[in-house]
Amino acid sequence: MSYKIPMGPYHPALEEPYKLDLICEGETVCDAKLHIGFNFRGIEHLAETRNYIQVIALMERVCGICSNIHTLTLCQAMEKLTGQTPPPRAQYIRVIVAELERLHSHVLWAGIAAKLMGFKTMFMTCFELREKVMDVLQAISGNRVNYSMNKIGGVNRDIEDPLAVLKMVEALEAEMARTVIPIFTTSRTARARCAGIGVLTHEKAVSCSVVGPTARASGVAQDLRRAAPYAAYAEMEFSTPVEQDGDVRARLMVRALEIMESCRILRQALAKMPPGELDTGDVKLVFATGTATSRVEAPRGEVMYSVSWKENSRTPRRVHVRTPTFANMPAIRWMVLGARLADTPLIQASIDPCYSCTDR
Amino acid sequence: MISLEKISEQLGTTDPWVENRGAYWLAATELNVRDVARVMNEVKARFVTITAYQLPDEDGFRLEYHWDLDGRLLGFAFPVSGNSIDSIYDLCEGVDWIEREVHEGFAVDFLGREYEPLLLREGETPGVNLREVSK
Repeated sequence: MSYKIPMGPYHPALEEPYKLDLICEGETVCDAKLHIGFNFRGIEHLAETRNYIQVIALMERVCGICSNIHTLTLCQAMEKLTGQTPPPRAQYIRVIVAELERLHSHVLWAGIAAKLMGFKTMFMTCFELREKVMDVLQAISGNRVNYSMNKIGGVNRDIEDPLAVLKMVEALEAEMARTVIPIFTTSRTARARCAGIGVLTHEKAVSCSVVGPTARASGVAQDLRRAAPYAAYAEMEFSTPVEQDGDVRARLMVRALEIMESCRILRQALAKMPPGELDTGDVKLVFATGTATSRVEAPRGEVMYSVSWKENSRTPRRVHVRTPTFANMPAIRWMVLGARLADTPLIQASIDPCYSCTDR
Repeated sequence: MISLEKISEQLGTTDPWVENRGAYWLAATELNVRDVARVMNEVKARFVTITAYQLPDEDGFRLEYHWDLDGRLLGFAFPVSGNSIDSIYDLCEGVDWIEREVHEGFAVDFLGREYEPLLLREGETPGVNLREVSK
Protein backbone atom coordinates (compact mmCIF):
# COMPACT_ATOMS: atom_id res chain seq x y z
CA MET A 1 0.00 0.00 0.00
CA SER A 2 1.34 3.41 -0.89
CA TYR A 3 0.79 6.58 1.05
CA LYS A 4 1.60 10.24 0.53
CA ILE A 5 3.85 12.22 2.84
CA PRO A 6 3.72 15.96 2.30
CA MET A 7 7.06 17.62 3.05
CA GLY A 8 6.86 21.40 3.27
CA PRO A 9 6.26 24.13 2.35
CA TYR A 10 7.56 24.83 5.87
CA HIS A 11 9.65 21.96 7.19
CA PRO A 12 12.82 21.69 9.29
CA ALA A 13 14.61 19.89 6.43
CA LEU A 14 13.88 22.63 3.91
CA GLU A 15 15.83 25.85 4.00
CA GLU A 16 13.26 27.71 1.93
CA PRO A 17 9.54 27.22 1.32
CA TYR A 18 8.57 24.65 -1.28
CA LYS A 19 6.66 21.41 -1.18
CA LEU A 20 7.50 17.83 -1.96
CA ASP A 21 4.68 15.30 -2.03
CA LEU A 22 6.42 11.97 -1.53
CA ILE A 23 4.55 8.80 -2.53
CA CYS A 24 5.99 6.01 -0.38
CA GLU A 25 5.68 2.28 0.03
CA GLY A 26 7.00 1.52 3.47
CA GLU A 27 10.18 3.54 3.81
CA THR A 28 10.83 3.62 0.06
CA VAL A 29 9.95 6.62 -2.09
CA CYS A 30 8.06 5.55 -5.27
CA ASP A 31 7.30 8.96 -6.72
CA ALA A 32 7.49 12.64 -5.88
CA LYS A 33 5.66 15.76 -6.94
CA LEU A 34 7.16 19.18 -6.50
CA HIS A 35 5.39 22.44 -5.87
CA ILE A 36 7.11 25.81 -5.96
CA GLY A 37 5.85 29.38 -6.12
CA PHE A 38 5.74 30.17 -2.40
CA ASN A 39 8.27 32.97 -2.97
CA PHE A 40 6.71 34.28 -6.20
CA ARG A 41 7.10 38.07 -6.19
CA GLY A 42 6.43 38.91 -9.84
CA ILE A 43 9.92 40.40 -10.16
CA GLU A 44 10.05 40.00 -13.96
CA HIS A 45 6.87 42.03 -14.27
CA LEU A 46 8.11 44.60 -11.73
CA ALA A 47 11.29 44.98 -13.78
CA GLU A 48 9.21 46.37 -16.64
CA THR A 49 8.31 49.32 -14.41
CA ARG A 50 11.89 50.21 -13.35
CA ASN A 51 14.39 52.33 -15.24
CA TYR A 52 17.83 51.07 -16.25
CA ILE A 53 19.38 52.06 -12.91
CA GLN A 54 16.55 50.90 -10.66
CA VAL A 55 16.26 47.55 -12.44
CA ILE A 56 19.80 46.62 -11.36
CA ALA A 57 18.93 47.16 -7.69
CA LEU A 58 15.70 45.20 -8.18
CA MET A 59 17.31 42.18 -9.85
CA GLU A 60 20.02 42.08 -7.17
CA ARG A 61 17.19 41.10 -4.85
CA VAL A 62 16.14 38.04 -6.85
CA CYS A 63 18.47 36.03 -4.64
CA GLY A 64 20.19 36.65 -1.32
CA ILE A 65 23.06 34.25 -1.91
CA CYS A 66 24.02 34.84 -5.54
CA SER A 67 22.86 38.47 -5.76
CA ASN A 68 26.03 39.57 -7.57
CA ILE A 69 25.52 37.03 -10.34
CA HIS A 70 22.10 38.48 -11.15
CA THR A 71 23.38 42.02 -11.55
CA LEU A 72 26.40 40.77 -13.48
CA THR A 73 24.23 38.88 -15.97
CA LEU A 74 21.75 41.74 -16.27
CA CYS A 75 24.50 44.35 -16.75
CA GLN A 76 26.20 42.20 -19.40
CA ALA A 77 22.90 42.01 -21.31
CA MET A 78 22.32 45.77 -20.98
CA GLU A 79 25.91 46.43 -22.11
CA LYS A 80 25.11 44.54 -25.31
CA LEU A 81 22.10 46.79 -25.85
CA THR A 82 24.03 49.99 -25.17
CA GLY A 83 27.31 49.03 -26.86
CA GLN A 84 29.36 49.44 -23.68
CA THR A 85 32.50 47.40 -22.98
CA PRO A 86 33.75 47.47 -19.38
CA PRO A 87 37.47 48.26 -18.98
CA PRO A 88 39.86 45.37 -18.12
CA ARG A 89 40.16 46.24 -14.42
CA ALA A 90 36.37 46.11 -14.05
CA GLN A 91 36.32 42.71 -15.78
CA TYR A 92 38.84 41.38 -13.25
CA ILE A 93 36.89 42.80 -10.31
CA ARG A 94 33.77 41.09 -11.68
CA VAL A 95 35.63 37.76 -11.70
CA ILE A 96 36.93 38.27 -8.15
CA VAL A 97 33.52 39.08 -6.70
CA ALA A 98 31.85 36.25 -8.66
CA GLU A 99 34.37 33.72 -7.35
CA LEU A 100 34.09 34.99 -3.78
CA GLU A 101 30.34 34.57 -4.13
CA ARG A 102 30.82 31.01 -5.42
CA LEU A 103 33.11 30.33 -2.47
CA HIS A 104 30.65 31.51 0.15
CA SER A 105 27.73 29.79 -1.61
CA HIS A 106 29.54 26.44 -1.77
CA VAL A 107 30.72 26.68 1.85
CA LEU A 108 27.21 27.60 2.96
CA TRP A 109 25.89 24.58 1.08
CA ALA A 110 28.57 22.37 2.62
CA GLY A 111 27.43 23.50 6.06
CA ILE A 112 23.79 22.73 5.34
CA ALA A 113 24.71 19.35 3.86
CA ALA A 114 26.77 18.58 6.97
CA LYS A 115 23.82 19.48 9.18
CA LEU A 116 21.53 17.17 7.18
CA MET A 117 24.11 14.39 7.48
CA GLY A 118 23.96 14.81 11.25
CA PHE A 119 27.48 16.24 11.28
CA LYS A 120 26.89 19.36 13.38
CA THR A 121 30.53 20.11 14.13
CA MET A 122 31.20 20.32 10.43
CA PHE A 123 28.20 22.61 10.02
CA MET A 124 29.74 25.01 12.57
CA THR A 125 33.16 24.81 10.90
CA CYS A 126 31.69 25.60 7.48
CA PHE A 127 29.69 28.55 8.73
CA GLU A 128 32.73 29.95 10.54
CA LEU A 129 34.65 29.74 7.26
CA ARG A 130 31.78 31.30 5.35
CA GLU A 131 31.90 34.26 7.73
CA LYS A 132 35.49 34.81 6.68
CA VAL A 133 34.49 34.86 3.01
CA MET A 134 31.72 37.30 3.88
CA ASP A 135 34.31 39.47 5.63
CA VAL A 136 36.31 39.64 2.39
CA LEU A 137 33.19 40.58 0.44
CA GLN A 138 32.33 43.20 3.03
CA ALA A 139 35.87 44.59 2.88
CA ILE A 140 35.51 44.99 -0.90
CA SER A 141 31.94 46.17 -1.21
CA GLY A 142 30.89 47.40 2.22
CA ASN A 143 28.00 44.92 2.21
CA ARG A 144 27.54 41.35 3.34
CA VAL A 145 24.73 40.36 1.00
CA ASN A 146 23.75 42.74 -1.78
CA TYR A 147 27.13 44.05 -2.88
CA SER A 148 25.98 46.61 -5.50
CA MET A 149 29.19 46.02 -7.40
CA ASN A 150 27.92 46.00 -11.00
CA LYS A 151 26.74 48.82 -13.19
CA ILE A 152 26.34 49.22 -16.92
CA GLY A 153 29.85 49.51 -18.33
CA GLY A 154 31.81 48.49 -15.24
CA VAL A 155 31.80 48.25 -11.46
CA ASN A 156 30.94 50.67 -8.69
CA ARG A 157 33.89 49.97 -6.38
CA ASP A 158 37.57 49.28 -6.74
CA ILE A 159 39.67 46.70 -4.93
CA GLU A 160 42.23 49.16 -3.66
CA ASP A 161 44.48 46.71 -1.84
CA PRO A 162 44.46 43.41 -3.74
CA LEU A 163 47.40 42.09 -1.72
CA ALA A 164 45.40 42.34 1.50
CA VAL A 165 42.51 40.46 -0.13
CA LEU A 166 45.01 37.93 -1.48
CA LYS A 167 46.25 37.26 2.06
CA MET A 168 42.68 36.66 3.24
CA VAL A 169 42.05 34.30 0.32
CA GLU A 170 45.25 32.35 1.02
CA ALA A 171 44.29 31.97 4.66
CA LEU A 172 40.86 30.74 3.59
CA GLU A 173 42.33 28.32 1.09
CA ALA A 174 44.66 26.86 3.71
CA GLU A 175 41.79 26.40 6.15
CA MET A 176 39.59 24.78 3.49
CA ALA A 177 42.41 22.44 2.47
CA ARG A 178 43.07 21.55 6.10
CA THR A 179 39.50 20.91 7.30
CA VAL A 180 36.57 21.05 4.88
CA ILE A 181 37.98 19.31 1.81
CA PRO A 182 39.61 16.28 3.53
CA ILE A 183 36.62 15.69 5.78
CA PHE A 184 34.09 15.85 2.96
CA THR A 185 36.20 13.77 0.58
CA THR A 186 37.55 11.11 2.93
CA SER A 187 35.45 10.89 6.11
CA ARG A 188 33.47 7.71 6.65
CA THR A 189 30.46 9.69 7.89
CA ALA A 190 30.23 11.67 4.66
CA ARG A 191 30.76 8.56 2.57
CA ALA A 192 28.17 6.52 4.48
CA ARG A 193 25.50 9.21 4.20
CA CYS A 194 26.19 10.23 0.59
CA ALA A 195 27.60 7.41 -1.53
CA GLY A 196 25.05 5.74 -3.81
CA ILE A 197 22.25 8.04 -2.60
CA GLY A 198 20.05 10.18 -4.86
CA VAL A 199 21.59 9.04 -8.13
CA LEU A 200 20.92 11.10 -11.25
CA THR A 201 22.20 9.13 -14.21
CA HIS A 202 24.11 10.80 -17.02
CA GLU A 203 21.22 10.10 -19.43
CA LYS A 204 18.66 11.67 -17.07
CA ALA A 205 20.92 14.65 -16.42
CA VAL A 206 21.08 15.26 -20.17
CA SER A 207 17.36 14.78 -20.80
CA CYS A 208 16.40 17.02 -17.85
CA SER A 209 18.89 19.70 -19.07
CA VAL A 210 20.34 20.14 -15.58
CA VAL A 211 23.18 22.61 -15.09
CA GLY A 212 26.11 23.47 -12.85
CA PRO A 213 27.57 21.15 -10.20
CA THR A 214 24.46 18.95 -10.45
CA ALA A 215 25.24 18.27 -14.13
CA ARG A 216 28.99 17.97 -13.58
CA ALA A 217 28.42 15.37 -10.84
CA SER A 218 26.58 13.25 -13.44
CA GLY A 219 29.39 13.38 -15.97
CA VAL A 220 28.14 16.37 -17.99
CA ALA A 221 31.25 18.51 -18.43
CA GLN A 222 29.72 21.94 -18.96
CA ASP A 223 30.96 25.20 -17.50
CA LEU A 224 30.17 28.54 -19.13
CA ARG A 225 33.35 30.08 -17.70
CA ARG A 226 35.20 27.80 -20.08
CA ALA A 227 32.67 27.16 -22.90
CA ALA A 228 31.55 30.78 -23.31
CA PRO A 229 33.96 32.92 -21.24
CA TYR A 230 32.73 36.27 -19.97
CA ALA A 231 34.36 39.05 -17.89
CA ALA A 232 38.07 38.06 -17.59
CA TYR A 233 37.62 34.28 -17.37
CA ALA A 234 39.35 33.70 -20.70
CA GLU A 235 42.58 34.83 -18.99
CA MET A 236 42.26 32.45 -16.03
CA GLU A 237 43.65 28.93 -15.75
CA PHE A 238 41.42 26.50 -13.91
CA SER A 239 39.97 23.01 -14.12
CA THR A 240 36.34 21.97 -14.26
CA PRO A 241 35.82 19.11 -11.80
CA VAL A 242 33.59 16.37 -13.21
CA GLU A 243 32.40 13.21 -11.44
CA GLN A 244 30.63 10.26 -12.99
CA ASP A 245 28.62 8.64 -10.19
CA GLY A 246 25.72 11.13 -10.13
CA ASP A 247 25.05 10.56 -6.42
CA VAL A 248 25.07 12.96 -3.47
CA ARG A 249 28.74 12.19 -2.84
CA ALA A 250 29.62 13.13 -6.43
CA ARG A 251 27.83 16.46 -6.01
CA LEU A 252 29.72 16.95 -2.76
CA MET A 253 33.04 16.14 -4.42
CA VAL A 254 32.41 18.51 -7.34
CA ARG A 255 31.65 21.42 -5.03
CA ALA A 256 34.60 20.63 -2.74
CA LEU A 257 36.96 20.64 -5.72
CA GLU A 258 35.33 23.78 -7.10
CA ILE A 259 36.11 25.57 -3.83
CA MET A 260 39.80 24.93 -4.48
CA GLU A 261 39.47 26.01 -8.14
CA SER A 262 37.75 29.23 -7.04
CA CYS A 263 40.69 29.97 -4.75
CA ARG A 264 43.02 29.30 -7.68
CA ILE A 265 41.11 31.74 -9.89
CA LEU A 266 41.05 34.34 -7.11
CA ARG A 267 44.82 34.14 -6.64
CA GLN A 268 45.38 34.67 -10.37
CA ALA A 269 42.85 37.49 -10.70
CA LEU A 270 44.17 39.37 -7.67
CA ALA A 271 47.77 39.00 -8.81
CA LYS A 272 47.17 39.96 -12.44
CA MET A 273 44.53 42.69 -12.01
CA PRO A 274 45.51 45.48 -14.41
CA PRO A 275 45.43 49.16 -13.47
CA GLY A 276 42.91 51.43 -15.11
CA GLU A 277 39.37 52.72 -15.02
CA LEU A 278 36.44 51.05 -13.29
CA ASP A 279 33.81 51.97 -15.85
CA THR A 280 33.25 53.59 -19.22
CA GLY A 281 32.75 57.03 -17.68
CA ASP A 282 29.88 59.47 -17.94
CA VAL A 283 28.54 58.50 -21.32
CA LYS A 284 24.94 58.90 -22.36
CA LEU A 285 23.42 55.45 -22.51
CA VAL A 286 21.40 54.83 -25.64
CA PHE A 287 19.53 51.54 -25.73
CA ALA A 288 19.02 49.84 -29.07
CA THR A 289 15.67 48.28 -29.86
CA GLY A 290 15.75 44.52 -29.55
CA THR A 291 16.73 41.67 -27.27
CA ALA A 292 20.06 40.80 -25.70
CA THR A 293 20.90 37.60 -23.87
CA SER A 294 23.60 36.99 -21.33
CA ARG A 295 24.68 33.86 -19.49
CA VAL A 296 26.87 33.39 -16.46
CA GLU A 297 28.06 30.34 -14.50
CA ALA A 298 26.55 30.97 -11.07
CA PRO A 299 27.44 28.81 -8.04
CA ARG A 300 24.46 26.55 -8.79
CA GLY A 301 24.84 26.58 -12.58
CA GLU A 302 23.92 28.64 -15.59
CA VAL A 303 21.90 31.84 -15.15
CA MET A 304 20.46 33.36 -18.29
CA TYR A 305 18.89 36.78 -18.77
CA SER A 306 16.92 37.84 -21.83
CA VAL A 307 16.48 41.61 -21.80
CA SER A 308 14.33 43.34 -24.37
CA TRP A 309 14.32 47.11 -24.89
CA LYS A 310 12.56 49.65 -27.03
CA GLU A 311 14.66 52.57 -28.27
CA ASN A 312 14.34 55.79 -26.24
CA SER A 313 12.58 53.97 -23.43
CA ARG A 314 13.93 54.26 -19.89
CA THR A 315 12.39 50.94 -18.84
CA PRO A 316 12.90 47.45 -20.25
CA ARG A 317 10.13 45.92 -22.30
CA ARG A 318 10.84 42.49 -20.84
CA VAL A 319 13.34 40.89 -18.47
CA HIS A 320 13.30 37.11 -18.35
CA VAL A 321 15.44 35.21 -15.87
CA ARG A 322 16.23 31.49 -16.13
CA THR A 323 17.86 30.42 -12.88
CA PRO A 324 19.82 27.19 -12.27
CA THR A 325 17.47 25.77 -9.66
CA PHE A 326 14.59 26.16 -12.12
CA ALA A 327 16.50 23.79 -14.42
CA ASN A 328 17.77 21.44 -11.70
CA MET A 329 14.77 21.05 -9.44
CA PRO A 330 12.59 18.84 -11.70
CA ALA A 331 15.40 16.25 -11.59
CA ILE A 332 14.79 15.77 -7.84
CA ARG A 333 11.85 13.58 -8.83
CA TRP A 334 14.26 11.10 -10.42
CA MET A 335 16.85 11.36 -7.66
CA VAL A 336 14.45 10.32 -4.91
CA LEU A 337 12.96 7.34 -6.78
CA GLY A 338 13.75 4.23 -4.74
CA ALA A 339 15.45 6.26 -2.02
CA ARG A 340 14.80 5.83 1.67
CA LEU A 341 12.45 8.44 3.07
CA ALA A 342 15.09 9.48 5.61
CA ASP A 343 17.52 10.34 2.81
CA THR A 344 15.18 12.72 0.95
CA PRO A 345 16.16 15.88 2.90
CA LEU A 346 19.82 15.36 1.99
CA ILE A 347 18.99 14.43 -1.62
CA GLN A 348 16.92 17.56 -2.23
CA ALA A 349 19.60 19.66 -0.55
CA SER A 350 22.30 18.12 -2.73
CA ILE A 351 21.33 20.25 -5.73
CA ASP A 352 21.77 23.34 -3.52
CA PRO A 353 18.27 24.59 -4.30
CA CYS A 354 17.40 28.27 -4.18
CA TYR A 355 13.70 29.06 -4.27
CA SER A 356 14.11 32.78 -4.05
CA CYS A 357 15.80 32.52 -7.46
CA THR A 358 13.42 29.92 -8.82
CA ASP A 359 10.20 31.67 -7.94
CA ARG A 360 11.36 35.21 -8.66
CA MET B 1 32.04 20.83 -32.91
CA ILE B 2 29.04 20.70 -35.24
CA SER B 3 28.67 23.69 -37.58
CA LEU B 4 25.57 25.87 -37.67
CA GLU B 5 25.29 25.27 -41.42
CA LYS B 6 24.98 21.55 -40.71
CA ILE B 7 22.08 22.30 -38.37
CA SER B 8 20.41 24.43 -41.06
CA GLU B 9 20.81 21.51 -43.43
CA GLN B 10 19.15 19.15 -40.97
CA LEU B 11 16.32 21.64 -40.51
CA GLY B 12 15.90 21.87 -44.27
CA THR B 13 16.48 25.60 -44.51
CA THR B 14 19.00 27.78 -46.31
CA ASP B 15 18.36 30.88 -44.22
CA PRO B 16 21.51 32.23 -42.58
CA TRP B 17 22.25 32.27 -38.87
CA VAL B 18 22.58 35.77 -37.46
CA GLU B 19 24.74 36.40 -34.40
CA ASN B 20 23.04 39.10 -32.40
CA ARG B 21 23.75 40.25 -28.84
CA GLY B 22 24.66 36.94 -27.24
CA ALA B 23 22.85 34.38 -29.40
CA TYR B 24 22.87 32.85 -32.86
CA TRP B 25 19.41 33.26 -34.37
CA LEU B 26 17.80 31.34 -37.17
CA ALA B 27 14.83 33.39 -38.25
CA ALA B 28 13.29 30.87 -40.60
CA THR B 29 9.59 31.53 -40.41
CA GLU B 30 8.63 28.19 -41.94
CA LEU B 31 10.23 26.21 -39.09
CA ASN B 32 8.10 24.14 -36.77
CA VAL B 33 9.04 24.05 -33.09
CA ARG B 34 8.83 20.24 -32.93
CA ASP B 35 11.17 19.85 -35.91
CA VAL B 36 13.63 22.20 -34.24
CA ALA B 37 13.43 20.22 -30.97
CA ARG B 38 14.09 16.97 -32.84
CA VAL B 39 17.16 18.39 -34.55
CA MET B 40 18.42 19.87 -31.29
CA ASN B 41 18.16 16.38 -29.75
CA GLU B 42 20.07 14.91 -32.69
CA VAL B 43 22.94 17.36 -32.35
CA LYS B 44 22.92 16.91 -28.55
CA ALA B 45 22.13 20.54 -27.78
CA ARG B 46 20.97 21.34 -24.24
CA PHE B 47 17.62 23.06 -23.82
CA VAL B 48 17.97 26.33 -21.92
CA THR B 49 14.65 28.17 -21.75
CA ILE B 50 11.65 29.75 -23.45
CA THR B 51 11.08 33.49 -23.18
CA ALA B 52 7.56 34.71 -23.84
CA TYR B 53 6.81 38.18 -25.20
CA GLN B 54 3.34 39.62 -25.41
CA LEU B 55 3.07 41.59 -28.65
CA PRO B 56 1.22 44.92 -28.81
CA ASP B 57 -2.15 45.44 -30.48
CA GLU B 58 -3.49 41.94 -29.83
CA ASP B 59 -0.93 40.40 -32.16
CA GLY B 60 -0.53 37.44 -29.83
CA PHE B 61 2.81 36.32 -28.48
CA ARG B 62 6.34 35.57 -29.58
CA LEU B 63 8.12 32.65 -27.96
CA GLU B 64 11.90 32.53 -28.09
CA TYR B 65 13.39 29.07 -27.58
CA HIS B 66 17.04 28.71 -26.60
CA TRP B 67 19.39 25.76 -26.75
CA ASP B 68 23.08 25.57 -25.82
CA LEU B 69 25.43 23.85 -28.23
CA ASP B 70 28.99 23.62 -26.88
CA GLY B 71 28.78 27.09 -25.36
CA ARG B 72 26.95 28.68 -28.30
CA LEU B 73 23.46 29.91 -27.52
CA LEU B 74 21.05 29.10 -30.34
CA GLY B 75 17.80 31.04 -30.61
CA PHE B 76 14.59 30.35 -32.50
CA ALA B 77 11.65 32.74 -32.41
CA PHE B 78 8.11 31.49 -33.06
CA PRO B 79 5.04 33.69 -33.41
CA VAL B 80 2.04 32.37 -31.52
CA SER B 81 -1.26 33.12 -33.08
CA GLY B 82 -4.49 32.05 -31.39
CA ASN B 83 -2.64 31.56 -28.08
CA SER B 84 -1.47 28.00 -28.81
CA ILE B 85 1.66 26.24 -30.00
CA ASP B 86 2.78 22.61 -30.05
CA SER B 87 4.36 21.34 -26.87
CA ILE B 88 7.81 19.76 -27.10
CA TYR B 89 7.62 18.16 -23.65
CA ASP B 90 7.55 14.65 -25.13
CA LEU B 91 10.75 15.44 -27.04
CA CYS B 92 12.55 17.41 -24.36
CA GLU B 93 11.92 16.68 -20.71
CA GLY B 94 13.69 19.84 -19.58
CA VAL B 95 10.97 22.02 -21.09
CA ASP B 96 8.31 20.92 -18.60
CA TRP B 97 8.46 23.69 -16.01
CA ILE B 98 8.99 26.57 -18.40
CA GLU B 99 6.04 25.48 -20.58
CA ARG B 100 3.94 25.39 -17.40
CA GLU B 101 5.23 28.80 -16.34
CA VAL B 102 4.47 30.39 -19.71
CA HIS B 103 1.03 28.76 -19.66
CA GLU B 104 0.35 30.08 -16.16
CA GLY B 105 1.71 33.56 -16.77
CA PHE B 106 0.66 34.31 -20.33
CA ALA B 107 -2.23 31.89 -21.00
CA VAL B 108 -0.34 30.37 -23.91
CA ASP B 109 -1.56 26.81 -24.46
CA PHE B 110 1.00 24.13 -25.31
CA LEU B 111 -0.84 21.55 -27.38
CA GLY B 112 -0.39 17.85 -26.74
CA ARG B 113 0.49 17.88 -23.07
CA GLU B 114 -1.28 17.75 -19.76
CA TYR B 115 -0.74 20.30 -17.05
CA GLU B 116 -0.13 19.32 -13.48
CA PRO B 117 -1.41 21.62 -10.73
CA LEU B 118 -0.16 25.15 -10.86
CA LEU B 119 3.57 25.63 -10.61
CA LEU B 120 3.96 29.25 -9.67
CA ARG B 121 0.81 30.51 -8.08
CA GLU B 122 -2.36 29.66 -6.22
CA GLY B 123 -5.80 29.41 -7.78
CA GLU B 124 -8.04 27.04 -9.61
CA THR B 125 -7.76 28.29 -13.17
CA PRO B 126 -4.57 27.61 -15.07
CA GLY B 127 -3.65 29.65 -18.10
CA VAL B 128 -4.43 33.21 -17.07
CA ASN B 129 -2.53 36.13 -18.57
CA LEU B 130 -1.20 37.75 -15.40
CA ARG B 131 -0.30 40.96 -17.22
CA GLU B 132 -3.93 41.41 -18.28
CA VAL B 133 -5.22 40.55 -14.81
CA SER B 134 -2.91 43.06 -13.13
CA LYS B 135 -4.02 45.99 -15.31
